[in-house]
Amino acid sequence: MTDLLRVGIAELRVDRAPSVLACYGLGSCVAISLYDPELCIGGVAHALLPGPVEDQVVDRPGKFVSTAVGHLVDELLRHGAEQGRLQAKLCGGASMFQGFGGGSGDSIGERNLGAAKKSLAAYGIPIVAADVALDFGRTMEFDLATGMMRVRTVRGRVKLREL
Amino acid sequence: MIDQLNSRQLDVLCELSNIGVGHAATALSQLLQRPVMLEVPKVSVVDIAEVPDLLGGPERLVAGVRLQVLGEARGNILLVIPAKSAGRLVSMLGTAGSDEPLESDLAVSTLCEIGNILASSYLSVLSDMIGAPLIPSIPKFAYDMTGAVIDDVLVELGTEGDLALLVETVFFSPRHEKSEIRGHFFLLPTAGSLATLLRAVGEGP
Repeated sequence: MTDLLRVGIAELRVDRAPSVLACYGLGSCVAISLYDPELCIGGVAHALLPGPVEDQVVDRPGKFVSTAVGHLVDELLRHGAEQGRLQAKLCGGASMFQGFGGGSGDSIGERNLGAAKKSLAAYGIPIVAADVALDFGRTMEFDLATGMMRVRTVRGRVKLREL
Repeated sequence: MIDQLNSRQLDVLCELSNIGVGHAATALSQLLQRPVMLEVPKVSVVDIAEVPDLLGGPERLVAGVRLQVLGEARGNILLVIPAKSAGRLVSMLGTAGSDEPLESDLAVSTLCEIGNILASSYLSVLSDMIGAPLIPSIPKFAYDMTGAVIDDVLVELGTEGDLALLVETVFFSPRHEKSEIRGHFFLLPTAGSLATLLRAVGEGP
């Protein structure tokens, strides 16, 4: 029996095989998965925003991309993972309402993706796969037994993808 | 602010919204030329992570029309219509055949216009009551999973805190079960605007 564990908005979760970590209905939110293929342990964050504003107190590291990545890495290292083996996959970061940003440039989805790339690069973790951006919602399930990310969409051209 | 509201203040928000939605429903009913009924509004204070479940689950396919509230108080108005009902609304207004896909330009602008009419009549009543102008932005449309449709609204609330206050009213057409229409009308004021709304009706903090 596989454990399907939901990672809700602003949450993050670390677990090991055979658990499956899932984020449902990702729009502009971005799901970041980290995986150590040697030990079959990994984690997923369901981040809402790129980062906290100036002096904002962060009591939920999973809410922000910039704090979620560091927190996932720390948790994984505590569980015995090695930073050099970690691989990242990304899902989400769509722009659901085109042009709603009020002309301030990038949509929140794009900013979330930018923050994810920057934070992962800072830890030297490669992004090995991604299904991101565009204008449709996604659901993803991250299988800790294989490190495979299954992405389902309703409106996307491809309804089911494995990354 | 949101977690410090007393039950009287929540009741006041409900009532404010109820009057507004009442006018909006009348406008919709004139447009559709059939009665539109309302359920008693519900006000909930929940963690932003729970909002998708409150709207019927993160993966449910819905048509969503979102309008930002601009003016003295800020927030969002969200119209969430299950896919079937959205299709019926579009064909009922005669702008497109019943098998017209919901993503066609005609269907999208019909649903946006419904959102616009509902939001405008709702906000004009609310403006009168609080004595300050409130204007809807242009409507934006998305037809997708509920979670994806509301992410952007949660982003706005999430920059201020972890809680969302939702005032929800369900509207429905009573007759002809086969062509029943159901929709959810939500007001999600920003935390900072709650004080403005409450102060205006003498229930300020």
